[in-house]
Amino acid sequence: MLLIEADGKALFRAFGIGVPDSVLVTDEVPSLPGTGPWMVKAQVPVGGRGKAGGIRKCDSAAAVAEAAHTMLGTRLRGHAVEAVLVEQTVTGAERYLSISIDAASYGVRVIYLSGGGVNVEQATESGGAGKICAPDRLAIAATLSDMVADDPDRATLMALGERLADLLLTRELVLAEINPLFVSPSGSVAGDAKLVIDLNAIDRQPDIRAIIEARPGIYKDAVRKLHEGFDYVELDPEGEIGLLTTGAGLSMMLIDELTARGGSPLNFLDIRTGQLRGSPTRIIQALTWMAERPSLKCVLVNIFAGITDLAEFSTLLADALDATPHMRVPVVARLAGRGQEAAAKILAERRPDFFVTEDLEESLERVAAIVGGGA
Amino acid sequence: MIGSLNRTTPVIVQGITGRMGRTHANLMRAYGTNIAGGTSVRFTPEGVDGIPVFTTCAAAVAATGAVASVVMAPPDGTRAAVEEALAAGIKLLVTPAEGVPVHDALAIGRAARAVGAVWVGASNPGLAVPGEMKMGFLPDVCLAPGPVAIMSKSGTLSYEVGYRLVRAGLGQSLWIGVGGDAVKGVRFADLLAPFNADNRTHAIALIGEVGGAEEEEFADALARTLNSKPVYALIAGREAKEGVAMGHAGALTYGTSGTLTSKTERLTAAGAHVFASIESMIAAITADLAAHRRTR
Repeated sequence: MLLIEADGKALFRAFGIGVPDSVLVTDEVPSLPGTGPWMVKAQVPVGGRGKAGGIRKCDSAAAVAEAAHTMLGTRLRGHAVEAVLVEQTVTGAERYLSISIDAASYGVRVIYLSGGGVNVEQATESGGAGKICAPDRLAIAATLSDMVADDPDRATLMALGERLADLLLTRELVLAEINPLFVSPSGSVAGDAKLVIDLNAIDRQPDIRAIIEARPGIYKDAVRKLHEGFDYVELDPEGEIGLLTTGAGLSMMLIDELTARGGSPLNFLDIRTGQLRGSPTRIIQALTWMAERPSLKCVLVNIFAGITDLAEFSTLLADALDATPHMRVPVVARLAGRGQEAAAKILAERRPDFFVTEDLEESLERVAAIVGGGA
Repeated sequence: MIGSLNRTTPVIVQGITGRMGRTHANLMRAYGTNIAGGTSVRFTPEGVDGIPVFTTCAAAVAATGAVASVVMAPPDGTRAAVEEALAAGIKLLVTPAEGVPVHDALAIGRAARAVGAVWVGASNPGLAVPGEMKMGFLPDVCLAPGPVAIMSKSGTLSYEVGYRLVRAGLGQSLWIGVGGDAVKGVRFADLLAPFNADNRTHAIALIGEVGGAEEEEFADALARTLNSKPVYALIAGREAKEGVAMGHAGALTYGTSGTLTSKTERLTAAGAHVFASIESMIAAITADLAAHRRTR
């Protein structure tokens, strides 16, 4: 999961990596660091901010305030802009440095480009950029040393690389990227910070957990996962189809197939039926999030039960709906596998309003008809 | 290793006295797997449901001759369990745990590679040789011996495909759930040669997802292979939310690879048939393998 730049830079600071003076703005713009000009940057956890209008250079305090107020409250690449980072502009030649996990080799990939970030996409397009080495400090240092052997700023770059490697290895990051990187005789400054964390390591990374917990608005999906133990990702706050599903791949496929039929799914969900343990709590939580969206028109339940008992699940589903009276949209339930007949019988009794089928295609058609009919 | 698994292959279950370990040890045995033993930190001289239980992998391997293990450990305990199994001489590991930390997965991958062991997982439902044995959770209702070899990142999506193949009168020769993690054991490209070498296999079904570069690696391997068996691919995640569902870690580092477009183009160029829906993939496989269908 990508951290916002301000959080990435806080980690940089903690590991001795230079960053520009800055102030994080969520409302009124306080006194600005230095004399300007300044960069005003939307703090959203997604790449491509510059192209989407989320990064502006401003020459005066008035221009900074105008840019900040224009960005705050808008949506950028699917994320609400809740904060902007205002920082002093850094001048000088732009370079690029990143260290990332390389899955295929069980190593890390080190990329250094003296020409800077402009060439990064081009250089990495072919997939072969940089060099791969073992995921340890010595190997990374040796690899970077080869890359910067002829660079006049070799010593500065080696010191920076050591700190970046230390950050990646001790905080168990997936990617640590500085683009642009400014190097001068007085040292190096990270113009941006792109850090991808591993949410699965968070139990042994207390400071990463603190970063996530401090911004429940920005890291909404991650906080949900940490607190609830399952994945619920809101895809479109104006979506019409709520998905009550298990399994990441199948849930993604259903989203694709519903979208291809003209539907607009509200959410992705992997509820993990194997972990319900006889309690409807998770189902109630997911239904409550769905019901909060006024655009919701229909809920599709899809459970393919290999090990889960559908009779037990359908009882939990009916219990959960009893506990969620504000959920008032049609429910299409596709239940196939273990206990399928018993489940259909239970639902026919308790929720005769449900459309229950064992056929996935039929359930998708039914959902498309419900949301299409109301459009 | 994977191609030669059968009902005589001795398998142990690490963590057999836990709720999940015991349940799945019994389900695997009922399917036909030779569950020769298990391990537990609890001293369990009476065994579990007739299966001998040992306190270490070394003791389990010494007593049973096991070569394969299903590791029923929590995500943060998977690395230690795998290291113990490798030290005991286990040559095939299935690790279903969901949520193994990335840096642990790097260490597991390097350790398995160093001793030439095969690691399948994590975050996967396991593997099966239908009609012979299974290691992991693959539901019996989805399994039948037949001509289609399945490799999949997703458990549930592969269940759906396997189930419909069975209902269409087809079944599977080999089924490997490689799992949904970024850093993992066996990858799609590793399976092309063994699937092509397997005499029972007449078609290969690849069930992928956006993110990472495995589908692209597989496409490269396929393009280099003369006379491969036909490949049918289904890629989920066309509408996945950027930066969240897939982590987006590789998007810049690997340029345009990782997107659905990239995967579809590379696979198609290499000669695979790529589908946008489960139904269309099943229809194509069923039509092309009509001669292999069982009469029902």
